[in-house]
Amino acid sequence: MSKKHPWVNVLFLAPVTLAFVLVIIVPFFLGIYYSFTDFNGVRSHLTLVGLANYRVMFNDPIFLHSFLLTLQYTAINIVSVNVVAFLLSLLVTSDLPGRNFLRAGFFVPNLIGGLVLGYIWQFVFNSALLDMGRNLGISWLSQSLIGNKNTVIWAMSFVNTWQYAGYIMMIYVAAIQGIPANLMEAASVDGATYPQRVFKVLIPMMASAFTVTLFLTLTNSFKQYDLNYSLTSGGPAALFMGKASKASQLLAMNIYNTAIAAKRWGDGQARAVMFFLILVIFSLVQVWLNKRKEVEM
Amino acid sequence: MKKLFPVILAFVLVFAFGSAALADITLANLKVEIDVPLKAYAEAYGEANGFNVKIDTFGGGEDYHGMVMNALQSGDMYDIFMIEGIGGYNTWKEMLADLSDQPFVAATSLAYAPEGIVVGFPIAVEGFGIGYNADILAAAGINPADLTTLTAFEEACKKLEEMKDELGISAPIAMACSTSGGMWWVAAQHNFNAYWKGNLEYDDNSIVELALNGQVDRDRLVQYAKFLKVMYDYADQDVLLNGNYDAQVNLFGTGKAAFIQQGNWTDPNFAGLNATFTRGYIAAVWTDEPTTAIMVAAPSYYVVNANSANLEEAIKFLNDMALTEAGQNYMVKEAGMVPAFAGVTVEPDGQFSKAVMNAAGSGDVFGWGFAEMPDGFNMDVLGPIFELYATGDLDLEGFVDMVTDAIATIPE
Repeated sequence: MSKKHPWVNVLFLAPVTLAFVLVIIVPFFLGIYYSFTDFNGVRSHLTLVGLANYRVMFNDPIFLHSFLLTLQYTAINIVSVNVVAFLLSLLVTSDLPGRNFLRAGFFVPNLIGGLVLGYIWQFVFNSALLDMGRNLGISWLSQSLIGNKNTVIWAMSFVNTWQYAGYIMMIYVAAIQGIPANLMEAASVDGATYPQRVFKVLIPMMASAFTVTLFLTLTNSFKQYDLNYSLTSGGPAALFMGKASKASQLLAMNIYNTAIAAKRWGDGQARAVMFFLILVIFSLVQVWLNKRKEVEM
Repeated sequence: MKKLFPVILAFVLVFAFGSAALADITLANLKVEIDVPLKAYAEAYGEANGFNVKIDTFGGGEDYHGMVMNALQSGDMYDIFMIEGIGGYNTWKEMLADLSDQPFVAATSLAYAPEGIVVGFPIAVEGFGIGYNADILAAAGINPADLTTLTAFEEACKKLEEMKDELGISAPIAMACSTSGGMWWVAAQHNFNAYWKGNLEYDDNSIVELALNGQVDRDRLVQYAKFLKVMYDYADQDVLLNGNYDAQVNLFGTGKAAFIQQGNWTDPNFAGLNATFTRGYIAAVWTDEPTTAIMVAAPSYYVVNANSANLEEAIKFLNDMALTEAGQNYMVKEAGMVPAFAGVTVEPDGQFSKAVMNAAGSGDVFGWGFAEMPDGFNMDVLGPIFELYATGDLDLEGFVDMVTDAIATIPE
């Protein structure tokens, strides 16, 4: 084989590099620039306003509310999605008959788009469950769970778990199948019970999978928009620090509403920059913590 | 950031498409619901007049203005496009053609002339009020003509509430205010218009201007809050707090509620539900000063690009739409709109549209004030306050205070 011309690499990389620069790098830096301007999304003459947009953001209780809601939603999801996914993965890697069918079945909700899913579950929460609750006399079901400001985040997390657990399950399944069978057998021969085998052998051996799944659930919950939009549109209303706010308006929706609906693009971009920084910090800490637990095989 | 990609792709496709077809005049349409009849009319019109009329429809407010802006920047600007009032006017005013001398102006009182020069052709008249089901009211022994004051309306609701089982209704009123259901606009925009414009002369903009300076008329606001309380108290609570558009319209359309807070755009929905009962409007009866007026306006306008190479044809297209029989037939029969022009003899099919047309003709109307609020204010600031008043988190005082505080932030 003759040596490749050095330009070949550059040529082959060019299309994807160009696309990446145009749709990720350029908008990213433009966004940072807009966050220091009074851009409204239309105007062509921009005025630099310094940190004014950041000041507005930090003085806006509704942004703080969205941030706290996002943290709550993310925390619930990290636990619920991973616990459910892990239990499902144990189930479908056992000797259960029909486990391949179940594996596919649990994965299917992930193939439904977030918007469609939101509208379906909106019907379930606002009609199906209400009728059930009223006809069967179950009092906590006779009020819409997404119409109640105290339950809406939990209802949304439930739907997200239903959708996302199957996907995370697949990652766990792959990790479990990658563990040499003799390790589990050896533990079994030594007299370890099933829970002991799971906690002392399986979970430590799967640490690298947890790094990935926790990262995915963290970032996915943090960036949630489509399900939020179609299931609740941010509603219902709730009082927060004496202001009328929305009980399920997550950060991404707050940013969108600020930038697009209220045409305060600069303000929205400032929130997006903050959103980016928070997400980067959270995920770096999470990955660093997880990496320390990983074992080399 | 990733979300930008489909948008850019869409733009590329639209312009690849847009420049491929040769058209003599181009129109950017925002009303998705009239897309098909408008295109059919434009094609027939073009054939009869020897030039092409090309229609592009962009649904949804945000995309529309971006698309028009892009057409301008790509040097392929539309000849006719739409604005919705002062915001659009301020953006585009340097390039809007003067339509003051056009024949259609003489036939309407709703041409758009914010600075004395006519620039906007009123696309349609829309109206809303409290719609009633005449059959249910008759069965309950209530005459809608008597419902001209808040006291009379409240008594009628009380009576309907007591006769609920007998009449087979679930509640007297189909009202909605849910953020989740996307219905903030019914309460915080349309119902609240009673505060902005109720019992004022059509051109009286004083309450809106007060708000734009951050102030409220507290007595008026308190009186409005009493009216809203009646609307909420006698509403079907599921639909009020969780319902979406379909839930609200179906409740009324299937005869499960005697009143509905909605506009004449619901006519096609009722036709779809085979709702045969007689219906009409009472006023937004928010005080005890008798009134029968409903809220009517022309909320959007066609404007003509003054730099267009086909200026004359574009203007002729609009004049003919307003003044020829074919044009009027398109507006009323095909597109189902209430025309903003005098001398139109074609009648719309929908009962609410007929009521709006009659009210507009008689001049017994109040204007719309909510469109002048800053972008997003009605949805994101007022919407949750109106919902909290419905859920009982806010009492009348709390509601009035919170609206007052919200309006105080407008000038910032």
